Amino acid sequence: MEELKMDFISSDALENATSMEKIYMIIERVKKGNIVVMDGGLTPAERAELIETTMREIDIDNFVGVDVHTLEKDSTSFFGFSKKKTVVITIVGPANLMKTVKKQSNFLSMVANLNKSSNDKINLMDKIK
Amino acid sequence: MAWFDFIKRFFGKKNKMSIGLYGNPNSGKTTLANKISKDWMGKEIGSSSNIPHETRTVLKEEKVTIKEGNKELDFDIIDTPGIATKVDYQNFLEYGLDEDEAKNRAKEATKGIIEAIKWLDDVTGVLLVIDSTTDPLMDTNITIIGNLEARKIPFIIAANKIDDEKSNPNRIVSVFPQHTVIPISALKGKNIENLYKEMIKKFK
Repeated sequence: MEELKMDFISSDALENATSMEKIYMIIERVKKGNIVVMDGGLTPAERAELIETTMREIDIDNFVGVDVHTLEKDSTSFFGFSKKKTVVITIVGPANLMKTVKKQSNFLSMVANLNKSSNDKINLMDKIK
Repeated sequence: MAWFDFIKRFFGKKNKMSIGLYGNPNSGKTTLANKISKDWMGKEIGSSSNIPHETRTVLKEEKVTIKEGNKELDFDIIDTPGIATKVDYQNFLEYGLDEDEAKNRAKEATKGIIEAIKWLDDVTGVLLVIDSTTDPLMDTNITIIGNLEARKIPFIIAANKIDDEKSNPNRIVSVFPQHTVIPISALKGKNIENLYKEMIKKFK
C-alpha cells in the first residue's frame, strides 16, 4: 500500500497569511498528493479564488483538481436573534484520490483511493462532532 | 469624449439587469436559459447535452423581457459554464469522446470555469440551478451562495429536474431554508411560470 500524507494546519498558522498565501499553501500541498486539513474555513472570496487557481494549475495528465469538504457548526449571533453556520474544519485533497462515502451537516466519511487498479483504500476520516 | 463614455457606461451598467445562470455542470443551466429565451424571444441560445461541460464559454442573450400582468422585467441572460473544483478528461471518455476530444474539452472547461467566476463581478442577479436529483450540499453550491451573499447579489435557487423520479427538491429547501427555492423542470417547462413570477418579484 502506498503512503498517504495528511497536513494539519492550525488557525494560528493561517491567521497572518494573505488570501493568496493560504490558497498556494493548500494547492502546492495538494498537487504533491497530500490531504490538507485546516482548522476553520476560507472566506467565500477565498473559496472562489481556490477554484480559479485550481483551474489554472490543472495539468490534465497529473493534476485534475481538488475535492473540498467542510464540517460546520451553528453559531448564534451576538444578540442571539439569528443562527448561522461556521466552518470548523476544511479538508482539501486531490480529486483523483478522495471519495466521499457519506456527508451530512455534522458527519463526514471519506475514503482515499490510493491505487484505483488494486482498489487499495484507506479509511481516511470518520468525524462526528 | 472619454469622460462622456465613462459616465454613460457607469450609469448604463447600473440600470441594466444581467441575470447569470450559475450551478454545477449538468444541472440544467443551458436548458433553463433556452427555455426562458424560447418563451420570451422565440429562440434558443445554446446547445445542451448529457456530457458534462457542454457549455464552456459564457452565452449571452440580450434584452429579454418577461411579463406578469402589468409587471415587466428587462434583462440580459448570462448562461455560464458549470462551476467545478475538478476537471478530469477521463470522465468524458465514458460518453464516447476520443482522447484528444476529451482532453480538449477538459482544457476548455477549465477556462470556462474561470470565466464563470469572473462574471460574478458583473451580474446583478442570479438563478442558481441545482439538480434536485443530487446532493445540494456540494462545495461549489456553497461557494456560489457564499459569494452571492457576500456581494449582496439577489438570487433564486431553481431546484431543477423535478420531472425525474429521483428528484427531491424538499432536500434543497431544507438545506437552504433562508433562500427562495422554486422547484422546476426546465426541460418540460413544469412550474416555470412560478419561476417567472418570482424573478419579477426578486429582481425588479
